[in-house]
Amino acid sequence: MTGAVYDRGYRPYEGVRGGRRSARAALLRASVRRALGIRREWRQKVAPFALLGIAVVPAIVNVGVRYLTRDTPAEGIEFLSYRDYVGVSNSLLVFVALTAPDILCPDRRQRVLPLIFARPLTGIDYVVAKVGTMASIVFAFSVIPQLVLFVGQMLVSDDGSLRYLRDNADVLWRVPVAAGLLALYYAIIGSAIASLTSRRIIAGASIIGLFLITSAVSAILVGPETHDGRELAPPAASTIPVEGRQAWLVVVEEDPSAAPLLNLAGLPLVLRDVVFLGEVDSDHPMSGLANGGLLASGMYVLVVGAGLATLVYRYREVDR
Amino acid sequence: MLGLIRPTEGSLEVCGVDVAADPIAVRTRIGFMPEHDCLPLDQSAADVVSTFGELSGLPPRAARQRASDVLDLVGLDEARFRPIAGFSTGMRQRAKLAQALVGDPELVLLDEPTAGLDPGGREEMLALVARLGSFDISVLLATHLLDDVQQVCDHVVMLDAGRLVISGDTGSLLERTGMLHVDVGPDRELLIDALAQRSVVASIVNGLVQIQIGDDADTDLVRDLVADLGLPLHRMAARHTSLDDVFLDRAQRTGGS
Repeated sequence: MTGAVYDRGYRPYEGVRGGRRSARAALLRASVRRALGIRREWRQKVAPFALLGIAVVPAIVNVGVRYLTRDTPAEGIEFLSYRDYVGVSNSLLVFVALTAPDILCPDRRQRVLPLIFARPLTGIDYVVAKVGTMASIVFAFSVIPQLVLFVGQMLVSDDGSLRYLRDNADVLWRVPVAAGLLALYYAIIGSAIASLTSRRIIAGASIIGLFLITSAVSAILVGPETHDGRELAPPAASTIPVEGRQAWLVVVEEDPSAAPLLNLAGLPLVLRDVVFLGEVDSDHPMSGLANGGLLASGMYVLVVGAGLATLVYRYREVDR
Repeated sequence: MLGLIRPTEGSLEVCGVDVAADPIAVRTRIGFMPEHDCLPLDQSAADVVSTFGELSGLPPRAARQRASDVLDLVGLDEARFRPIAGFSTGMRQRAKLAQALVGDPELVLLDEPTAGLDPGGREEMLALVARLGSFDISVLLATHLLDDVQQVCDHVVMLDAGRLVISGDTGSLLERTGMLHVDVGPDRELLIDALAQRSVVASIVNGLVQIQIGDDADTDLVRDLVADLGLPLHRMAARHTSLDDVFLDRAQRTGGS
């Protein structure tokens, strides 16, 4: 046996072998690891966990203030409702703009796609795995702070933790549903844009740009009445600053408009309100619009559908 | 062949599975090593190969185990925790071969596995490829380097601009062109004249007499002639035909017709 010295032994694999399902799961695991910087150098870990940290800060502050003011007469003020807390943090958007390109573009740029598609999975599996990665991380990022908030509120509640749990039980399904809608929405938009280019920077800038431009356009369409209303300040027109990043969407209540539908950044927040309140929030410019909730849902389905179509089209077959 | 491109016509069976009907089943049986760089650069070889093992359907633990086995096999055992970006071309080729093997395929498709390798690396890569057969892995090697084919392949299919040139066992293709090279020093013309009298075709190529021979009797004839003429016989060898010659020969013929 002269070859024995070199033959370090090739052992054929005899164990179980999965098909598409396990390939999809493997791709998802690999992408989640990549997105969170696991098994990568420390620089890659900073961004995701810093953004997660930023998302949790308001919850901690809120709980802390509640705790400190528990004995004073002003108690019971909630700085932050669970509803406001869904999607209010821009850190999620930044995370999507950073990560979606990072898990999609290099596969195309470094030509890993042919290798991936030489495995037992299809383009649809690829899309499902990548969107699943983004959606599950964004979902986790939006739900974890809520959990911190909820558990914190429970513990500092004067009436006892169980009472608080009973009184606020509805939050336990509303938050995941709203956060899930938001996560899916961000994930699909981010991935769809990232699938169009092999350059991470371009993809990231485009994602941020899309959200900024659509909200600016919708603000312009809503805008004129707003300024009139503010300048004249008629008693009938109340101007209300909307929470979070839409603070500049100042509107007149009496004049509902469908233009905010074009605001892709604001759309999931409208849906969130529908989930929490059963209707569009009265602070929102779309409030009072007939079937506003339905319209928003339709727009949501449209955007998500268009994103999915883009993705499936971009990964239908790879011949390079 | 991997079922990635829809066939325009015809059908293809790989490992007993119709590719058009069930591409997924085919891809679980095949390992693929493309020609171009195709590995994620910022991950370590061990991570990349084990991820591709998982994609081939192996459970994570088995995939990691096999990744380290296969990287050992291709000679990357020490470099496996370094990022691929720092790899030389030879190491990248090895890593690419490793990812093709990690799923224990029945067949591997290798596209120019020796591209960009220095002679030493090329020899090692070819030795590795030649060993795959003993692991019950069939190899389909696509290359323009016919020397490589000659060295490791049992069967050759030559294509020229998409048309079949020739197909057959490597051995039988090589035997077909019988040429004898004889080195008799400066007086080669004498030998050629003598051969011409016996209607044997001969010419001078690179300072050697090249003789077209039919069988062993011709070889004997040449030997006897050299002895009769009193010429020094420095060397006499059957010319090693290469697949390059076969290809050029055939391609000209099919191209001309």
